Amino acid sequence: MKRRIETPQDLLDLPAGETINLSRRRFVAGTAIGALVLGFGLPVGVPRVQAAAATAERGTQVPAFLEIRPDNTVRLLCPFMEGGQGTYTAMAQIVGEELDMDPAQFVVDSAPPGEAYVVMENGMRITGGSMSVRMSYPTMRRLGGLARAMLLQAAAEQLGVPVSELSTEPGKVLHAASGRSLAYGQLAGRAMDLPVPDPASIKLRDPGQFRWIGKPVRRLDAYDKSTGKAVFSIDIKVDDMLHAAVQHAPRLGMTVGNMRNEAQVKAMQGVHSVHTLPGAVAVVAERWWHAKRAVEALQVDWQEPGADNTLRVMPADFSSAGWLDHLAAQTGPARDDEHEGDLAAAMASAKTTVEASYRNQYVNHGQLEPPSATARFNPDGSLEVWLPNQAPDMFRADIAKRTGLAPEQITLHSPLLGGFFGRHFLYESANPYPQAIALAKAVGRPVKLIWTREEEFLRDVLRPVAVVKFRAGLDADGMPVAIEAVSATEGPTEALAGKQGEKIDPTALEGLSGKAYAIPNKRIAQIYVKGPAMLGYWRSVGNSLNDFFYESFLDELADKGGKDPYELRLHLLRGNPRLTTLLQAVAELAGGWKPGPFTAEDGSKRARGVAMASPFGSHAAVIAEVSIENGQVKVHDIWQAIDPGSIVNPAIIEAQVNGAVALGLSQTLLEEAVWQNGAPRARNYDLYPILPPQRMARVHVRIVQSGEKMGGIGEPPLPAVAPAVANAVARLTGQRVRSLPLDRHTFS
Amino acid sequence: MSNRRFATTARWLAVPCLLAAGLLAWYVTREPASPFTTDTAVDAALVSRGEYVARLSDCVACHSLPGKTPFAGGLEMATPLGAIHATNITPDREHGIGAYSLADFDRAVRQGVAPGARRLYPAMPYPSYAKLSDDDVRALYAFFMQGVQPSAEANIPSSIPWPLNMRWPIALWNGLFAPAHTYAAKPSQDALWNRGAYIVQGPGHCGSCHTPRGLAFNEKALDESGTPFLAGALLDGWYAPSLRQDPNTGLGRWSEPEIVQFLKTGRNKHAVVYGSMTEAFNNSTQFMADDDLAAIARYLKSLPGDPARDGKPWQYQAVSAAGRLDAPGAHTYVTRCASCHGLDGKGQPEWMPPLAGATSMLAKENASAINITLNGSQRIVAAGVPDAYRMPAFREQLSDQQIAEVLSFARSAWGNEAAAVDAKAVAKLREHTDPASSSPIILHMR
Amino acid sequence: MELRINQKTYQVEAEADTPLLWVIRDDLGMTGTKYGCGLAQCGACSVLVDGNVVRACVTPVAGVVGREITTIEAIEEDAIGKRVVAAWVEHQVAQCGYCQSGQVMAATALLKHTPKPSDAQIEAAMVNLCRCGTYNAIHAAVHELAEGGKA
Repeated sequence: MKRRIETPQDLLDLPAGETINLSRRRFVAGTAIGALVLGFGLPVGVPRVQAAAATAERGTQVPAFLEIRPDNTVRLLCPFMEGGQGTYTAMAQIVGEELDMDPAQFVVDSAPPGEAYVVMENGMRITGGSMSVRMSYPTMRRLGGLARAMLLQAAAEQLGVPVSELSTEPGKVLHAASGRSLAYGQLAGRAMDLPVPDPASIKLRDPGQFRWIGKPVRRLDAYDKSTGKAVFSIDIKVDDMLHAAVQHAPRLGMTVGNMRNEAQVKAMQGVHSVHTLPGAVAVVAERWWHAKRAVEALQVDWQEPGADNTLRVMPADFSSAGWLDHLAAQTGPARDDEHEGDLAAAMASAKTTVEASYRNQYVNHGQLEPPSATARFNPDGSLEVWLPNQAPDMFRADIAKRTGLAPEQITLHSPLLGGFFGRHFLYESANPYPQAIALAKAVGRPVKLIWTREEEFLRDVLRPVAVVKFRAGLDADGMPVAIEAVSATEGPTEALAGKQGEKIDPTALEGLSGKAYAIPNKRIAQIYVKGPAMLGYWRSVGNSLNDFFYESFLDELADKGGKDPYELRLHLLRGNPRLTTLLQAVAELAGGWKPGPFTAEDGSKRARGVAMASPFGSHAAVIAEVSIENGQVKVHDIWQAIDPGSIVNPAIIEAQVNGAVALGLSQTLLEEAVWQNGAPRARNYDLYPILPPQRMARVHVRIVQSGEKMGGIGEPPLPAVAPAVANAVARLTGQRVRSLPLDRHTFS
Repeated sequence: MSNRRFATTARWLAVPCLLAAGLLAWYVTREPASPFTTDTAVDAALVSRGEYVARLSDCVACHSLPGKTPFAGGLEMATPLGAIHATNITPDREHGIGAYSLADFDRAVRQGVAPGARRLYPAMPYPSYAKLSDDDVRALYAFFMQGVQPSAEANIPSSIPWPLNMRWPIALWNGLFAPAHTYAAKPSQDALWNRGAYIVQGPGHCGSCHTPRGLAFNEKALDESGTPFLAGALLDGWYAPSLRQDPNTGLGRWSEPEIVQFLKTGRNKHAVVYGSMTEAFNNSTQFMADDDLAAIARYLKSLPGDPARDGKPWQYQAVSAAGRLDAPGAHTYVTRCASCHGLDGKGQPEWMPPLAGATSMLAKENASAINITLNGSQRIVAAGVPDAYRMPAFREQLSDQQIAEVLSFARSAWGNEAAAVDAKAVAKLREHTDPASSSPIILHMR
Repeated sequence: MELRINQKTYQVEAEADTPLLWVIRDDLGMTGTKYGCGLAQCGACSVLVDGNVVRACVTPVAGVVGREITTIEAIEEDAIGKRVVAAWVEHQVAQCGYCQSGQVMAATALLKHTPKPSDAQIEAAMVNLCRCGTYNAIHAAVHELAEGGKA
């Protein structure tokens, strides 16, 4: 953030002779070793480097993460990107708890790429899959503990007393016997030169003694984000920078032919140069507005893809409606993901059978910050890039591959994300940084490229679509005894790979697979259908569609069997105390299960629906209350009980539930990316509306801590929203909706 | 394509069919006379002049498709009887007009008769082009033969079924409604006025959209001798306003320089081009010479208004939409419209047009107001540069009722006194129209 | 042309139709005001002009010459803006934060004109989009401000 890059402490680290020039300086360290440079008041200490290099165990290179400043503030280089989900604050809480430092004293930035920051237990470093906290929690606690041990050791040396006589209070080391104390800031220089202790020697705090973990600690970024001080990729400024805008080929795969009016555009106000890029043309100018207007003016004869094309080609006759019909017509072959019991026999002997076909819609990410990237080649041949990303190491590796530079020559900066929801992974053809790098190279000056909202809607990757055919059998009591779901779809992971893997893409079927209901005979299968649209991850991924399908169909079974949908779920979850508790918790939060229809105080006729989901290691149960207003669905309240096992920050969780509900309602009520003639109909929010404030529901949250393994929080509150709303609508109107969004249907 | 001109009705086909039964076959199959007995020598200057006449006449708007070879045809015009397509008019000898003599070309352009005495559908505005001077026809021919690349793009047959696809009755229609003479200068008027009258009535074919049509889909007047001439007309989901001196629905409040500015840059303090006029501006009027634009302005300013039709002249009344939040539609106006058009309705001239006193907010016909609210504006491309600001499409955000209410609000605010808009009218246009493209659409002539 | 922004006078060279947004961000380097859509759809670019909220992405700069512009950078110099920011922090409104500059400007403009706005007035004024779904937190913050609460 801006104020951080201007601190005097940072300036002290400038090599002698370098002019003080704020915008040219590094403001996030380029490498793990670079972070050491920021250690106040000391040159790069050889012992630190050795410590960093010698310690192999994950998340133990303390100086790479932490800089404790003389004013007793702590700068933490966070392995995860902050995009609103509160990970900076959560990491400060976790590290601060064991370091014994108030999280409010933390300043957090994204760590650069590098092995030192691979802290997740699955050996990855990404900000996604709702994994940041749950996959790094023990490691980041230990990191704080290691740093505290180093500070204690340094204090022992400085005070000349045994470590065993020392203790800590937030931000300082105490020597009780002499009554002396030293602030961490006074010890940091010495401490960080010490070898990192054996991780096994660290004793973590008793959770019963937590001061900050589990508490509603205030977000560290709340003030900066309320006053425009927060810096996003789009805000980056570097000296001598030029601005760029692009015009993409109308269909992916097409190439640049003749530019009819290149000379005229070159002569336009402020234009520096006109460039041809793969599948795009660009204008570089002194101001972005000039670049944008000029590139829009370029008249390009776009050519059909050549034989050497490696991209997924968008056909001229592609339509989203046509593609869904195509999926619906698929009959196989299908691959089983789950197969239990004897489905055929159970179906044959069922008293009643139910069949239904469900489908969903393409959706865009619609994060409010349009994609951008800034690239600068330094005189030594190294490259710096500022860009939004959810996986810095993958991005740096890709840049290395594209440029032929060694990874060490590439400095990747990861500013705050203006929303992400899955948008900022490594998507071929959907990220501006390759263009920015090419342009910076071409003009020999730093270039900031911003995609207009229109270009973003043209190149954003889409959330996948599926057509799922369900069959189920009910016994004489109306209880489900068999269920089959066959989904004709392409999952995002297999879409990125361009082919089906040896195993089923879990992101294709999650939410159909992994359901906890005790239905003895079941089959969940996928018909893989490779499509022409570029796909990607969208908040809660496969669950965002599949839980809508499954939980809606489950209500159909309840209706057919004459069961109450809430009671049926409780029945199917008997013997599962965790989910039984959760379901009962949401009913209690909503004042008891009362499906309606009933007449509300304002005279409107309303009903409620219930649904559950178990995504990303957490479990959620949702009740929605709806009415019909002018033929459209109005959602009044969402009650959500969520069990992530254990938690770090209940206030941030409540905010995340609100956010997930908003996105969940948005896809339920109004969002749909319509494609016709190989092109998206919407190129801005006018034709692709996202949930506006007046359609937000009141949200009531109950956090249930079962004490089970910690689960995710960013995505799990989303998937149960759509089916809870659809089930409430069916209850109220008798109309069973099997496709989204609801605004495409008319209700009475 | 459903927003394009000439797409709504086939009365001009059906009515002549009924009239035709008793008339003589020779009349309908004859080849009319042309003054051109021999082709003229062609030089570059003539080709260049012909290109300018093609700009004046906006041939490209119908005979070219974006991204395709210029003048290779293809624009679909949907009619209730079936679709017809503009033809290939490149000099390709097989698929285009390469085999046409100057006389053949003349008969097609000015009289709507192709070689072989085949009658063109009057979607081709030959009733206006009939007024083209011999010199301009000669130049136009030179341009199409020498300045246009031949294309072997095959013409798309019409999908109108037999017997409605018989074309000979058009000859009868022509006899009734198409003039047989080129423009004759009025000695009582000066040269500027006469030049303006020539462009407006002839190549500019302004009346095709702006003059109301009769039962046979004929323009009710083809020059200033008839008061319906350019008095405003509803065509294909847009209301082309009066170009007469009507202060509310016409050009009564516009000065001559403002008319010139509008046709040259697409905008002035009163309005910004939108709807079908965007195509006319993008492809035609901005390329007109300043003298010609001045002539057009002079001529249009000479056409008197009609207070009986136009009503009481509009007067601005200051009121802020924010102060009327309880009025139906006001909330939508404040949240969706006011950023650009202002709480005071005055817009941000010359980039965002005012709604206070705007024709679409004063006219009885509300189609344009509904259409642009549903579908937004096409990009205006002036001097090769797409516009800085465009009107968004609201069809995905606002219901028929909400659009009806917000337009009713705007049509009754700031001194506007137009009838309320009915949700059914919105629903009807919603069904028959598509959102405008957010990308610039450029049609090339070479 | 000469612009008055945050009580300071700036000389800028820009064509008349340049959106105020890009003058503020690129020419003057104040990046707190955000680009979201360029089409007056999202409100991320909201600034105050003579105390009224406008969307800077659809405001040709020539139209604001001689008027008093306030951006998020100076919001706390305004007494009401300062209260709004405090309420935003108190209610922990921001998630990604990208839209919040605009949200704060919209709330400030509302309360400057209408210290005790009705629900309808709040609904009409607080229309900026937020993809993170902070609407309920915004609602709570604005209602507290409207009721003259502690923030």
